Amino acid sequence: MIARLLRAALPPAIVVIALVAAWDIAVRLMQPSEYLVPAPLAVARAFLEQRAELVPAALRTAGSAAAGFAIAAAAGVLAGSVLAASRFLMRGLYPLATLLQMVPLVAIAPILVIWCGYGPRTSVASAAIVSVFPVLAATLDGMRSTDPGLAELFGVCRASRLQRWWKLELPWALPSIVTGLRIAAGLSVIGAIVGEFVGAFAGDASPIGIIILSAMRENRTDLVFASVALAAAAGFALFGLVSLLGWALLRRWHASAG
Amino acid sequence: MVTSIPRRAACVLAATLCGALALAIPAGAQDAKPALRKVRLQLNWVPEPEFGGIYAARQDGLFAAEGLDVEVISGAAGTPVPQMTASGQVEFGVVSGDQVLTLRERGGSLVALFTVFHTSPMGVMVPEASPHRSLESLWKSDATVAMEAGLPFVRYLNKRFPGGKVKLVPTGAGLAAFERGTVQAQQCFITAEPVQLELRKVPVRVFSLAEGGYDPYTVSIATSEAFLAKDRAACAAFVRALRKGWASYLKEPGKYNPSIHKLNPAMSLEAMDLAARKQHDLVAPRTGDEVGWMERDRWVTLAGQLKELGTLKEPPAVIDAVFWNAPR
Repeated sequence: MIARLLRAALPPAIVVIALVAAWDIAVRLMQPSEYLVPAPLAVARAFLEQRAELVPAALRTAGSAAAGFAIAAAAGVLAGSVLAASRFLMRGLYPLATLLQMVPLVAIAPILVIWCGYGPRTSVASAAIVSVFPVLAATLDGMRSTDPGLAELFGVCRASRLQRWWKLELPWALPSIVTGLRIAAGLSVIGAIVGEFVGAFAGDASPIGIIILSAMRENRTDLVFASVALAAAAGFALFGLVSLLGWALLRRWHASAG
Repeated sequence: MVTSIPRRAACVLAATLCGALALAIPAGAQDAKPALRKVRLQLNWVPEPEFGGIYAARQDGLFAAEGLDVEVISGAAGTPVPQMTASGQVEFGVVSGDQVLTLRERGGSLVALFTVFHTSPMGVMVPEASPHRSLESLWKSDATVAMEAGLPFVRYLNKRFPGGKVKLVPTGAGLAAFERGTVQAQQCFITAEPVQLELRKVPVRVFSLAEGGYDPYTVSIATSEAFLAKDRAACAAFVRALRKGWASYLKEPGKYNPSIHKLNPAMSLEAMDLAARKQHDLVAPRTGDEVGWMERDRWVTLAGQLKELGTLKEPPAVIDAVFWNAPR
């Protein structure tokens, strides 16, 4: 198991180390001003100096992203299932659902503040809005691709609508749903940070979005990079958890979890 | 057999060719006027009366008279004007005094050339019915205040009024949050947000940060040290045009506001006229100086304040390198 994990982690680790090395060499050779591109060591130093502020901030952002993601996952699967159940609903509502993906989140984020008030609620709402569509679309596609032969068999056995959903359509759509959830996991962190840009409290309990804004205003590019790296790590952790969940659900019967 | 072109046809052809040649020669070559020097000015916000003198200089051909072809580029919240200017992406940019000092400490060699406001128009507004009658009272309360994160004056107020319990939130929700009472106070430009609210019949009270002791040069026009060294004459010409432009705008803003309004229809002409009236005394020189003139002492004070607040590690070793007043 450990050997397998190491085998999986080694290639991306080598790529990351190579990229950071290339970044460091480029900065040493080209010597851009610190405010344009900080050296990797400067970013690491900024992180170490302000870790007491950055780590809790990243956890707050991750918390908002996770809550938004959970809402999006539940709403996306539910809505996808409802749309898959009725051709009329799908034709009527799916184009509207697609609009969710087109909504410029930055433009509506200020309205979210008015609706949800300041604090994590706005970030959670923003994360949910931005990540619901991939789950919905993946659920719908997965359910619509249910094997017609099996669907007929369930009909012959007089399975109820709920039984058919629970025992056939949902498991059939699961690999597709997991893919949608993986995409949504990364998006939810972006949504949470956009929400924080307009609606988070600053001060001792600042989330990462506020620290990014503040560092940008103070020309602390090193701190901006450190904050962005932490936000990316939060997104990566969420993505990892979803992948793990997907693997646990699919490993016994689906090739994608191999 | 060779046929010759009839003489009349040859004459017409020759005249046509001469005419085409004359048209092909650039107009500039005919009257031998020197070409204008192209420069870019990046604003940090949309066109508004705070940039009135710039548009006046453009409208009246003052830049062209100084040999400059100035492209004025509109900005928005988050446009990284100091970085763009210091790195040479644009020749001139609108920044604030504190940005000049903090970026210089991080290797971005900005030099301020001109300041629109000799007294900072930054303030904090509260509804007229608010119980807070001073910045101190507000800052020591537990009010929710909309303020841009990372602004030095937040640190200044924290230091000046220790023990404050205000809750700071971003300004992204705009005036709607203030009008609904979701926030009890909001940072403002005396010439912008309060003007919009006044026109909507929402009475507000504004606490000036300049009166509160923090008064950096605001809406300053800066260039990079490299550009100033390379083309000091262009910088001087640019400032001369700005001074004249601002003098004209201060005298007669109504003449120029319609052209600004065309570029920013979201701000009504009425709001622009009111803003121009409100900003007049903050821009018009108090002494015999020209518009835009900067005092060394003000930069020394600001550098000292930023050091005290921890925004700067050290004040600049040579304060005179931070700004340059073009000769009158």
